[in-house]
Amino acid sequence: MLLEVRDLQVEFRTRDGVAKAVNGVDYAVDAGETLAVLGESGSGKSVTAQAIMGILDMPPGRITGGEILFQGRDLLKLKEDERRRVRGAEMAMIFQDALSSLNPVLSVGDQLGEMFVVHRGMSKKDARAKAVELMDRVRIPAARERVKDYPHQFSGGMRQRIMIAMALALEPALIIADEPTTALDVTVQAQVMELLAELQREYHMGLILITHDLGVVADVADRIAVMYAGRIVEQAPVHDIYKAPAHPYTRGLLDSIPRLDQKGQELYAIKGLPPNLMHIPPGCAFNPRCPMARDVCRTDVPPLYEVGDRRTSACHFWTECLNG
Amino acid sequence: MVDPILEVGGLVKHYPLTQGILFKKQVGAVKAVDGVDFTLHKGETLGIVGESGCGKSTVAKMLVNLERPTQGLIKYKGEDITKLSGKALKSVRRNIQMVFQDPYTSLNPRMTVGDIIGEPYDIHPEVAPKGDRRKKVQDLLDVVGLNPEYINRYPHQFSGGQRQRIGIARGLALRPEVIVADEPVSALDVSVQAQVINLLDRLQSEFELSYLFIAHDLSIVRHISDRVGVMYLGRIVEIGRDAEIYDHPTHPYTQALLSAVPVPDPEAREHRERIILTGDVPSPTNIPSGCRFRTRCWKAQERCALEVPALAVPAEFRHTSGPAAHDSACHFAEEKQVVPAEETE
Repeated sequence: MLLEVRDLQVEFRTRDGVAKAVNGVDYAVDAGETLAVLGESGSGKSVTAQAIMGILDMPPGRITGGEILFQGRDLLKLKEDERRRVRGAEMAMIFQDALSSLNPVLSVGDQLGEMFVVHRGMSKKDARAKAVELMDRVRIPAARERVKDYPHQFSGGMRQRIMIAMALALEPALIIADEPTTALDVTVQAQVMELLAELQREYHMGLILITHDLGVVADVADRIAVMYAGRIVEQAPVHDIYKAPAHPYTRGLLDSIPRLDQKGQELYAIKGLPPNLMHIPPGCAFNPRCPMARDVCRTDVPPLYEVGDRRTSACHFWTECLNG
Repeated sequence: MVDPILEVGGLVKHYPLTQGILFKKQVGAVKAVDGVDFTLHKGETLGIVGESGCGKSTVAKMLVNLERPTQGLIKYKGEDITKLSGKALKSVRRNIQMVFQDPYTSLNPRMTVGDIIGEPYDIHPEVAPKGDRRKKVQDLLDVVGLNPEYINRYPHQFSGGQRQRIGIARGLALRPEVIVADEPVSALDVSVQAQVINLLDRLQSEFELSYLFIAHDLSIVRHISDRVGVMYLGRIVEIGRDAEIYDHPTHPYTQALLSAVPVPDPEAREHRERIILTGDVPSPTNIPSGCRFRTRCWKAQERCALEVPALAVPAEFRHTSGPAAHDSACHFAEEKQVVPAEETE
């Protein structure tokens, strides 16, 4: 296994109290595999990714438990300078908003080249040549001329390609893409997702794709982890989950997608709101919104049930859910 | 056919680009909207889809008079509202209200919910006499599914979905006939989007509202719209009933747009044809000659650079009554099904 996250727990101490952002997350990614982490805002999907990358703001964030095994080593036990060598070289991250993630006062060539200067000790000239090569690789037209341009001179799609180039620069074994196409238009999103999938195949990388878009997930993922209130409520191979979800939250999300045969009818809507992370409901965090909730759901936190091959669900009544 | 409630003809909005500080001289223009026509009937929903920068939000702003058109007509019940001012404008504006995209920035954080929803009554006191207002606001809160007791709370005490309900209540306050909704759910979480869509649907039948529904999420637009217009670089390139556009698109841009939308069904992954467009949308300061889509179109020929295609039923479909016979601005329009076939109706 390339990456294994075990029972990860993260909290944020704020003036108003402790927000429990991640409450025992387990997931694993293999080389060449795409794991989609699906969740709404505040579900803890990005915080988990930041903890893996080691870019969590601490304080106010605090990792209170768990381990992150990357190629067998527990990243949480590494010293900061060791961690820095892993970051960028062995795992890299692609952010949602390329414009605010790139440095506006450095040319894209300098930013891409910096990776090689810092991690590989290359000369500036060689690094520049590498930068051009990378920009070609992610199909930025006229890379040789544009390497001197600044981020604001590129369109949104092109900027996201530069982010991808930067993440790929040192050929990491794992890429974490946090909503990489959310800020893009659909036609550009299709270009970027295709590029990402192609490069992943070529380099045989593990990919964690963080998103809230059920369509993107269906398009590219091998497996899905659905997060709710800091926990993974269901994890399964992609085909299984769309066919028969084993958790009522997943079912609710799938049912609320407008379908053709429902035109003119009311859409299914999950009632209520995602919980406040400072006051997560006792028992199953989803119980106040769940149509299947019973007494036990209000008192007992559901364990992760094995519901099939590499498939888990955190619902007391998963069999019922699975059978519709 | 009954007269349309809203009729838009040749609508243009150009923002001038100037050079020089003292002696400003115009060196060009951002052609945000460059000739848009459509009609909206009572009780109907017209969806407008398109990518960012295509001018859909500018159209919305002109309809509610937040921007003055450079050219063109906007007729509300037969009367051109672009020339109105003063009292006449004020009374028309009452009937066309807007719901904004971002419920975080479109509500004043220093006003209570009651003041926000009731503010339209300060401008149009004829709708609600002073003593009546509190009751009216509470009714509105109830209508949009919020607890009427929340009237004294501030926007930050609400979640995104609830704030959008407040924005909708404000839009409804003056009992308008037309609501222009610019991306009303795109800032919301997936599980909350459906709630707001259902609310909009319910309000439409309850108050006989007409919606101009602008969004980039094609599946939501299809769900809520009777007709759909597709915009590209300031123009509508194809418009028709929802099934015509989604199941029988004839314009290559519509086909590419539809094929690019990820389908939430992993089984569809293998057997769907994807049209991946090359390049980016051209700058609206420098629109290509002829057909504005030709720089990204795989069908483009010489004619496309010379002649601007008109938005009309293409000649080859003119004599058929099938679903392909709807307005499409392409010289080489042809029907193509791009979304995996699903049972209709």
